[in-house]
Amino acid sequence: MVYDINRIKVPEAPPDYEDHTSDAHFVPAPCQAACPVGTDAASYIAYIWEGQFKEAFQAITATNPFSSICGRVCDAPCEPACRRADSDGPIMIRNLKRFVMDTVGHQYDPPPIEPSKKETVGIVGAGPAGLTAAHDLCVAGYEVHVYEMSDRLGGTMVWGIPAFRLPPGIIQEDLDRLMKRCPGLKVHLNAALGRDVSLDELKKRHDAVLLTIGAWWGKAMEIPGEDDPRVVDGVGFLRRINGGEKPELPETVTVVGGGDVAMDACRVAKRLPGCRHVKVIYRRGPDEIPARRIELEGAIKEGIEFIYNTLQTAIVPSGDSIALRCVKTTAGDQGSDGRRQPVIVPDTEHDIECGMVIAAVGQKAGNSELDKLGLMAKDRVRANFDGMSTSDPKVFAAGDGAFGGSTIVIAMHHGQKAAYYVKAFLQGRKNPLPYRTPYRTQRVPVAQDMMWERLPPQEPEFFGLGKKPVEFPEIEATYDWETAKNEAARCYRCDAETGSADYSVQHREDIFSMARTEPEDHLKHQAMLEKRMALRENPFPENRPGNLDDLVFLPANLSRLVIDPYREACRTSTELAGKMKLEWPFLVTGFDEAPEEVREGLALGLIQSECGYLGTQRIAANVPWLQLILGHPSNEASKDAAALIYAMGDGAPPAGKRLNDAQLLGLAVSSPTALETAIPQALDNGYDLLLLDATGKLGSPWPELAGALDLSVLREAIRVLRQLGREEEIDLVYFGGLRSGTDAAKVIALGCTAVVYGVPIGLAVGGTIAGAKEFAFSSDYSDEDRASAVVNFLKSAAGEASMMARCTGKTAVHNLEPEDLRAITLATAKASGIPLAGVR
Amino acid sequence: MVTIDLAEIPIRDANELIRESGARGEDVQVLNPDARHHIGVGLTNEITVRVRGSAGYFCAGLTDGARFEIDANVGWGLADNMYRGSVVVGGNASAIAAVAIRGAEVVIRGNMGSRAGQVMKAGTLCCAGNANFMAGYMMYGGRIIILGDSGERVGEDMAGGEIYVGGEIKSLGSDAKLVDVQTEDRDSLAAFLDKYELKTARDFKKIVNAGTKLRYATEEQQMRSIPFFTFSGASDYWNGKVQEDIYVKSQIGRYRIRGYGGARSLPHLADLAFKKDVPHIGSVPNVVSKVRMRTAIGGLNGAKPLDLTMPVMIAPMSYGALSRSTKQAIGMASTLAGIAENTGEGGMSDAQRDAAKQLIFQCLGGRLGWNIHDMKRADGLEIYISQGAKPGFGGQLMAKKVTKELAEIRGIPPGIDLRSPSRHPDILGADDLVIKVEEFREATGYQLPVSVKLGAGRVRDDIKIAAKDGFDFVELDGMQGSTGAASAEVLEYVGIPTLAAIMEALDALEEINYRDKIQIVLMGGIRDGVDATKALCLGADAIALGSSTIIAGGCIACMQCHVGQCVTGIATQDPEHEKRYEPSMEAQNIHRYLEGVRWQIAAITYALGYDNVHDLRRDDLVAVTPEAAAITGLPYEPSYRQSGHELEK
Repeated sequence: MVYDINRIKVPEAPPDYEDHTSDAHFVPAPCQAACPVGTDAASYIAYIWEGQFKEAFQAITATNPFSSICGRVCDAPCEPACRRADSDGPIMIRNLKRFVMDTVGHQYDPPPIEPSKKETVGIVGAGPAGLTAAHDLCVAGYEVHVYEMSDRLGGTMVWGIPAFRLPPGIIQEDLDRLMKRCPGLKVHLNAALGRDVSLDELKKRHDAVLLTIGAWWGKAMEIPGEDDPRVVDGVGFLRRINGGEKPELPETVTVVGGGDVAMDACRVAKRLPGCRHVKVIYRRGPDEIPARRIELEGAIKEGIEFIYNTLQTAIVPSGDSIALRCVKTTAGDQGSDGRRQPVIVPDTEHDIECGMVIAAVGQKAGNSELDKLGLMAKDRVRANFDGMSTSDPKVFAAGDGAFGGSTIVIAMHHGQKAAYYVKAFLQGRKNPLPYRTPYRTQRVPVAQDMMWERLPPQEPEFFGLGKKPVEFPEIEATYDWETAKNEAARCYRCDAETGSADYSVQHREDIFSMARTEPEDHLKHQAMLEKRMALRENPFPENRPGNLDDLVFLPANLSRLVIDPYREACRTSTELAGKMKLEWPFLVTGFDEAPEEVREGLALGLIQSECGYLGTQRIAANVPWLQLILGHPSNEASKDAAALIYAMGDGAPPAGKRLNDAQLLGLAVSSPTALETAIPQALDNGYDLLLLDATGKLGSPWPELAGALDLSVLREAIRVLRQLGREEEIDLVYFGGLRSGTDAAKVIALGCTAVVYGVPIGLAVGGTIAGAKEFAFSSDYSDEDRASAVVNFLKSAAGEASMMARCTGKTAVHNLEPEDLRAITLATAKASGIPLAGVR
Repeated sequence: MVTIDLAEIPIRDANELIRESGARGEDVQVLNPDARHHIGVGLTNEITVRVRGSAGYFCAGLTDGARFEIDANVGWGLADNMYRGSVVVGGNASAIAAVAIRGAEVVIRGNMGSRAGQVMKAGTLCCAGNANFMAGYMMYGGRIIILGDSGERVGEDMAGGEIYVGGEIKSLGSDAKLVDVQTEDRDSLAAFLDKYELKTARDFKKIVNAGTKLRYATEEQQMRSIPFFTFSGASDYWNGKVQEDIYVKSQIGRYRIRGYGGARSLPHLADLAFKKDVPHIGSVPNVVSKVRMRTAIGGLNGAKPLDLTMPVMIAPMSYGALSRSTKQAIGMASTLAGIAENTGEGGMSDAQRDAAKQLIFQCLGGRLGWNIHDMKRADGLEIYISQGAKPGFGGQLMAKKVTKELAEIRGIPPGIDLRSPSRHPDILGADDLVIKVEEFREATGYQLPVSVKLGAGRVRDDIKIAAKDGFDFVELDGMQGSTGAASAEVLEYVGIPTLAAIMEALDALEEINYRDKIQIVLMGGIRDGVDATKALCLGADAIALGSSTIIAGGCIACMQCHVGQCVTGIATQDPEHEKRYEPSMEAQNIHRYLEGVRWQIAAITYALGYDNVHDLRRDDLVAVTPEAAAITGLPYEPSYRQSGHELEK
């Protein structure tokens, strides 16, 4: 698993496995790392919230061929691992999986993969380990023959789990999908190893053999009197019931054990005819019981009695029935498994009367043929966990039959791991890279649910025994869509990149790991240090152009007095060439070709904010119009435009003329190299303002969308004006790539009197960027919506610009100066003429 | 009655004597005060102090319970932060009389200067003459009585409390309004005037807060963060983040607010590499015992320094931004690690004091939670000028977090969008600051280190002032520092990177030959022992960790601190959410993280060939980006990025 020391440094992914741990912006979430098959829970949870069920289905089934079954009965180690468990309760991941599988599981089948390789593999036992291995090997192109001693596929999944938890239709769904996916999977039912086929035979038929024989037999309690016919073993009991029997039970049944089999057995007994009381005795306390909490709580809700700290010592006859003789226990010292061992309390012997005892105290594997061949070690197949190998190089082993009783999902992990080593063997790869679970991500955006912090765990409806318990109706409901969405919204998305470069998902997870490393765990500290010493990529690669983003303001502190940005005034009023008065230093452009209703809404907003419009077309009679005149046809200049802005062509500046005294005369310049000659001529021609166009394409549709902006046009204009000593004679207006009031403040600090917004206004009025030159405008905005969006954006921009000014200690936006700025990249320092922060 | 003649003994000794008399319950008279500053500061006994003449700045400041009588005039900051007790001034008072009082009765028989009662929380300020401009500026509570004329903009930006004016109201301040005077108001005024034998024939006008600026008008739609790399660095210009910002602003008409620090990449300590090959780094298991790390901070001017087991402290973070449980966990972890914790804005709780063995008490312009008793039980005092995340701004706490309990400790009305003042009432320049620092030292007997928290801006100029004003150390905070709530634009675009800040600071101090007269604690985006060691190499005396300790204690970096519904129970005041936080467990997590930092600093220092962290040198580093090289003046060695020099084991 990735978590633990490996979480600091993830081992290399095995070949042929899709794995995304090398993505710097992805760390497997704790739930994913806790899942033995690496289920990408975070992605499917996010897809559920989005309503993208097909994608959720694909994320679920990508590493799990028994997703429908797992949606009902997975032990779900993901849930206790969930970070939200420490907060208000883990995300109910299993219920979410169930929701997806119930909603769309029957609709989609992954495409079939035909066998493509000549080698074949024989697998003994069709439980979760065997069938998962079969799936992986089939997907890799091998033909796989599965030999199953019973009359159906599924192993524990069909024989061990009662229908009220796992209805047969659910199992069938997974099996059908598996068979469709794997045309190369050949099934041999009623074919027991030793009875119907020998291992030798299998080795002859196939190029490799995998033993996944399961832990089919219940262990004995090994106490006197247990051969009484009224004492049965848990797995055997469940097998009878799953085989279709519904026997009449005595009134009182006692179940011995605290594991999942005990839980299923007690809940089955409670539903069978005749049975009224079910007691479970467990030798440790309620905090140590291994049963999954939800099963335990379900059993308690169904009226089953739990008797803790009680150890069985004998079965004794008691009248017509029997009694389980017990002693009380208390928690003793830690055993080799790390758990505190039960210690018998003297003089506490007592009898628990009952009609039947179900012993669910463990399972074992058994096979006489393997025994004869010397492949068995006591009650399991002798196998090496590292390579899933046995003493016979051609024979592999996996699952409960080889490594003891576990869970469906661990058995599946064994199957995947075994398939990996079988493949390596078939391909002749010696010493393959150790297998590890692959961790994938679909990189789904985080759910934008405003209640995510507050929503409590969403409990599905619990039915318990139901109206007719003996018919084994399902114990709880599948989420409806609303509940599923609410539960999905709760996900922290531990896998997803954060919004902070300094505290990115990698940094955050490293800090988490440090916080969970004991000071004396030297090896882990060393691994962590090694990881932390790695250098990051340069965030400012050489090709990053000079950029407004990379200018910062110098705040006032001790050497200057800050103006309180929360409450003190800061002027934004602006005058262009002493003639045009504006509330804010802003103009708007870009809507000459926009749909009429968009223009109308914009006009309304501009009127309300007393803002001028720059363009070739007038936007409305009562909006000050800065007429942009492209080319030279001076006759098209409009008499009632507030300003005439002549675009500079390739040659000398056009000899623009005012049509009345109140009109402003402006020259638009797009090329920094033209400034040297254009500026003196513009000054001599009596121009009032220079419109500096950093896009280079003013007049074409949405020129800002093309990307890279050339800040040097501004730098050069100021340089030339300064050189001439005539800075005060002409006002500078800037256009190009402004996104916020902060950007405006920067440009004003650099020396401009006003700025022109284009794209942000397009976005504000409901436009979406539809290409390098195009906006698509949505029709679901009213004129008022558009007007208020324009006013709001400009108001926010004015607020931001004045906030920047106040931070630097200015009471007017126009008091901002270049000295208030620093660059944080060399490219920006060069393009803007502003020094790099920290440099003398 | 003890008589103290200030013509005979210096004020420092006089204040000692006054406090000793107070402890004995004996009254004091002060002769020849000659307008000396700080008379009586720090007194917490119920005695009477008679000042036979005029007093200077901060007379009766930082006191609780005493009665002061000043025969003549007083300088500014009269009764600064006074809790209970009373002050009667026979003559006139200068500016900011009764600044930040929290219950005292202050009576001025003459006129009073501007901004009287600024940020006061409770108590009564009464002026028998006229008041100058902006009386009641940003007051949170209590009462101001002006028998004469009010001056201009009376009640400017008051958040609570009431102002009564007997004479002419020159003009009302922003967000102040006139309301009718009730009978019980009149009775209460009459009783107060009787008590101090004041008379007026005039009928009063009453001014209260108009409530137009206490809350943001529209609520901002909350969004979970867009991954930083989609907009940081060389991403497309009109990216999703830009579009989201524009969309939200077009709906709310103002700047966006969020928690955490800047989102994008900046030049960082991460762009430096260790110059020397450090083979076998971390291969010595007990490396911590092989490197001397003990660090004393704050003792340069004779105060008892903070005794740190490594050159690391906790960055100032407030109870308010963070839940009580979180502050408690951080305090416990600081104690376990043997380092210092800091209250941030908003006061010191008993839980915090008990949890942290060494605790710095921070003083902000709003004086929220600031008081003499907590000053005396602090291990260091700190004047906040600004912070890296939002320099120029005071603390910001959205209404959801301003609970009744929190409002009480801060002395403010509950349920307002708290935006603390940007400036201190009594620090308008370097000269005021010297006197303020002196007041703190007088009030606490020169025992405690006094530091300044400085967000990085014009560091080169600012730090010279800090050094010359006699601070023991500066907590220098680069723009990568985080916060509980701030304008998103300020987070991204105001201030300079931590890396640039330390370089400017060191250069400036060397310029004026002051490097050994002030210590520098660097913070802002320092995440681990690797970053910390690089900062120490550059020349920081210690570093402070903020966000990373929060993360160690369970923060998931969702950047929604401002919302107040923190999913992990950290940045919230909602008791249901706070329940999710287990302080003792998280204290262990934070402690383990701090031990990890210690281990890393030790391992790198040892690998570089030193047995003392204070031997680390700038020469031990190279720069791996052109920006980092330009900022630090270190050689640009991009080959260190590829060579994996440091990665060899």
